[in-house]
Amino acid sequence: MFVNPLIRPLAVAALLAVAAAPALAADGKQLFTDKGCVACHGEDANTPLDVGYPRLAGQNAEYAFTQMKDIKSGARANGLTAETMKPILDEVSEPEMRALADYLATLPRLAGTGPAGAGKKLYMTKTCVACHGKDGLKPVLKTYPAIGGQEKAYLLTQMKDIKSGARKNGATNAMQPVMHLVTEAEIEPIAEFLANVK
Amino acid sequence: MKTIIRAAAVAFVATAAFGTIALAGPRDKPAQGKSVGDKDYQWNAGGGEQDEALHLKPDLKNGRDVYEVCAACHLPEGWGLTDGTFPQLAGQHNKVIIKQLADIRALNRDNPTMYPFALPDQIGGPQAIADVAAYIGTLKMNPEPGMGDGKDLEHGKKLYKDNCARCHGDHGQGDNAKYYPRLEGQHYNYLVRQYQWIKEGKRRNANPDMIKQIQWMTERDTKAVLDYVSRIKPPADKIGPKGWKNPDFE
Ligand code: HEC
Ligand code: HEC
Ligand code: HEC
Ligand code: HEC
Repeated sequence: MFVNPLIRPLAVAALLAVAAAPALAADGKQLFTDKGCVACHGEDANTPLDVGYPRLAGQNAEYAFTQMKDIKSGARANGLTAETMKPILDEVSEPEMRALADYLATLPRLAGTGPAGAGKKLYMTKTCVACHGKDGLKPVLKTYPAIGGQEKAYLLTQMKDIKSGARKNGATNAMQPVMHLVTEAEIEPIAEFLANVK
Repeated sequence: MKTIIRAAAVAFVATAAFGTIALAGPRDKPAQGKSVGDKDYQWNAGGGEQDEALHLKPDLKNGRDVYEVCAACHLPEGWGLTDGTFPQLAGQHNKVIIKQLADIRALNRDNPTMYPFALPDQIGGPQAIADVAAYIGTLKMNPEPGMGDGKDLEHGKKLYKDNCARCHGDHGQGDNAKYYPRLEGQHYNYLVRQYQWIKEGKRRNANPDMIKQIQWMTERDTKAVLDYVSRIKPPADKIGPKGWKNPDFE
């Protein structure tokens, strides 16, 4: 195969970049087991151990990284974060969090099973779609979370906590001002819809 | 070996593609502008994309497409919410819309909720700004905007005449050429919030003359004057029918 000499150095650079990327993701995979994440989040990062634990597979890397940092520093301490998740992070460094987040982002998100129900209309009309995108899977910024296909109980806690201000880390200040548009009763069908997005 | 080279080539194409995306990112992110109080600050200095947007010929069809995401918050009709969470955009002057977008983009207004939607990789460049502003210009105003308690309107009327009319006009119509916003028919709660933020300097490219003008106002004065002006009915040809739904987004 003929390689244009002008392209060659670039091709080599690209090769190096390619070689580096899987190595990092592989680190993340190893870390995910070694640091005990699998115990709670499941080997595929899609099978949470208990009610109220989140799925992590296919999450935006930037978002997941920030959350780990914030949980470790205590900036995010709502729900089960402080008791359950924080202690694990004492043993995880920032570069390791980065590798973990990059790895998690490569995993396929589990497709839901079905009927959208009444929540879809609320999702579309209560501004959620602007930031979290169609079906909760196309957030407007890389730092925003994918929420489609997430565990229902986890979604419920986070929505309530962002609404009440119990969770106010990261970019929650973008979302908090719209949460008075949904009542507690409306949060339930929205979570139902998001959890079941196909 | 062959396969390795092929893989490299594929990877090259891939990196090249990502490369352009990466390049587009930082260059498109507008820098924070100078703020009231900074050395050499000049109100509404404009320049750059703001000026460009003002001089481009708008494409309404593209404006509708850009507006689609805005509609999630400002509503398809541009009517906002009567509780003031989202301002009414319908009826606002073209130049005001463009300047405020530029200010939100430049982080001169604290608007974390809307910030991502003002960014170039969401809206696009000056042309798209011109387009969406022109589309907003086609929308008729909310016939039932949010109001205050209506208890102190005489006091408000006098204050308005003495302190605000010279810029915002005798009935709150504003002035497109001078970037003075229309206040009549805007949701009362939204006006109260913005007024407070302008007074406190939280809107960092707000008109310095106005900031000076309003410093002495008490809470009673503020409520009265804004209740008064938000209640003024804009000219009939600017108002939409009750319950109107924008057919562009059916
Ligand atoms: C003992 C159980 C447990 C272990 C071990 C654990 N987590 Fe968690 N993790 C949780 C729980 C529970 C939450 C949700 C907390 C809440 O209620 O807000 C969470 C939340 C998260 C989040 C935020 C998710 C989101 O959508 O905001 C990330 C990211 C995360 N964990 C990654 C990890 C990684 C990586 C590891 C391994 C280093 C790990 N977790 C280990 C229980 C655990
Ligand atoms: C203005 C943008 C915006 C809007 C509108 C918005 N969100 Fe969010 N949402 C965010 C951001 C940003 C975060 C992550 C905050 C952080 O950095 O910790 C978030 C987080 C969440 C989370 C927690 C995700 C996780 O993995 O922990 C859920 C659930 C959620 N949003 C649901 C909703 C619903 C439902 C609506 C509509 C009622 C909505 N959001 C409207 C921006 C928005
Ligand atoms: C996630 C919700 C959201 C979306 C989407 C959104 N906005 Fe906004 N917008 C807001 C909020 C909230 C404010 C008021 C912020 C404040 O109080 O300072 C605002 C204010 C504005 C203002 C200032 C109005 C004035 O009179 O001062 C303009 C102009 C504007 N938006 C245009 C747009 C355009 C154009 C789009 C689409 C490209 C858009 N917005 C999308 C939430 C949103
Ligand atoms: C010297 C001219 C001037 C005077 C006097 C003035 N304003 Fe303003 N006002 C402006 C300009 C210009 C803006 C837009 C600020 C910006 O560029 O962000 C504005 C913005 C506002 C806004 C925010 C509107 C929006 O849609 O965001 C309110 C509310 C307001 N003025 C109320 C008043 C009231 C009430 C008075 C009298 C007490 C007053 N102003 C006096 C020039 C003036």
